[in-house]
Amino acid sequence: MLLVEQIIKIWSKYSTVFLDGLTGTLWISAVTVFFGTLLGMMWALVQLSKVRPLTTIYGWYVGLIRGTPILLQLYFFWLWLPKALPLELSNTQCVIVALVVNSSAYVAEVIRAGIQAVDFGQTEAAKSLGLSNRNMMCYVILPQAVKNILPALCNEFISMIKQTSLASVFFVSELTTSFKTVQSITFLAIPPLIISGMIYLVVITFLSKMVNLFEGRLRVSD
Amino acid sequence: MTKDAKAILQVVDLHKQFKDLEVLRGITEEVREGEVVSIIGPSGSGKSTFLRCLNLLERPTSGQVYFQGVEITDKKIDIDRHRQKIGMVFQHFNVFPHLTVLQNITLAPTLERKIPKEEAKDRALALLEQVGLVDKQNEYPRKLSGGQKQRLAIVRALAMEPEVMLFDEPTSALDPEMVKDVLGVIKDLALSGMTIVNVTHEMGFARELSDRVLFMDEGVIAEQGSPREIFGNPQNSRTIDFLSKVL
Repeated sequence: MLLVEQIIKIWSKYSTVFLDGLTGTLWISAVTVFFGTLLGMMWALVQLSKVRPLTTIYGWYVGLIRGTPILLQLYFFWLWLPKALPLELSNTQCVIVALVVNSSAYVAEVIRAGIQAVDFGQTEAAKSLGLSNRNMMCYVILPQAVKNILPALCNEFISMIKQTSLASVFFVSELTTSFKTVQSITFLAIPPLIISGMIYLVVITFLSKMVNLFEGRLRVSD
Repeated sequence: MTKDAKAILQVVDLHKQFKDLEVLRGITEEVREGEVVSIIGPSGSGKSTFLRCLNLLERPTSGQVYFQGVEITDKKIDIDRHRQKIGMVFQHFNVFPHLTVLQNITLAPTLERKIPKEEAKDRALALLEQVGLVDKQNEYPRKLSGGQKQRLAIVRALAMEPEVMLFDEPTSALDPEMVKDVLGVIKDLALSGMTIVNVTHEMGFARELSDRVLFMDEGVIAEQGSPREIFGNPQNSRTIDFLSKVL
């Protein structure tokens, strides 16, 4: 009973801290997935070009990103980027760069898999009609691949919402940092933790439902 | 087919190797304008691979393919331009599921031959009329039966006004009651003078409509002749053996 009371009390007093945190989380996730998708598309093109040295580099890149913990990647960019660039970079900017790089590797794989999942017969039919490679991609393969890719991209956005909690390590303003902030003010740990957790749960459950609905609608047109 | 009709497709010493497996082991053959050629033979004999080499969907390991006198196996030529004149119909239809029936047909002519949309549509409708699919023009392929999909695939290829049509077992994936419709369309096409190369298991069809039948076995053309010769009086022991199993 005490816990519930504490939660209600903390929420009524510090709700703006949590809502600001949520805004930060959603904003960082959206920016990350947007640029991650752009970069991921470029990587996917690199891979699909089938040019030997490029595809090898792609393999290393994806292997490196997926083969190391994301927290380590965040530390790396946080430490290295301010040294490498002659700019004043905020923690948030360093973290976003790291998340974009991380996300791009996953997005590239999503796009690659989405394109390769299109039946090879479609490629053959397009070629037999004399379509150029470009037209085949734009008018036959990609429109079909999009149906595989879009739901997976939405899921990438959802998982990014969870990944951004790691940014709290660098005191970037987001939902997990909100918990830490409120904890340090109130000296209570569990209630703000639960509040942050519940906000994540509500948002992610809602978005997952939306993706399922969206996926269902894509299926219908199959 | 007149006797001195020009060769439209010629292959010279065609070989195709997949890893350790030599699928085509030296084929030299030609198809003349207006000719209907059926290719028969046991599965794994290389019939489909041979057909797919004719428009370079499969690149031969060695040997040359000539289309209208031009060597299309030459890496420097624009293969897309030549493929536009070589129609192909697949066993599994391969119609474009994200496009309507009409869009399936007009896509390649409008993109690659720069035919105005309206004109391409009129032509597509005329073709659909011929195969009895006009009322399906705005449907998506998922609403079509197998036989309808294959008829769509045929007119999609015809919309490019090809000089030759390649059929790769066009009725093998169809329910029996659909086969007749599709064969009817191919028959009309043959009677209209189209040059056709047809890989088939439909022996009745091969016998009735072909000018020439090629029997393939183990990567070579083991025997060839008129349908009367091949079906009536086969010489090669493997041909005899094959026909005894399928007829």
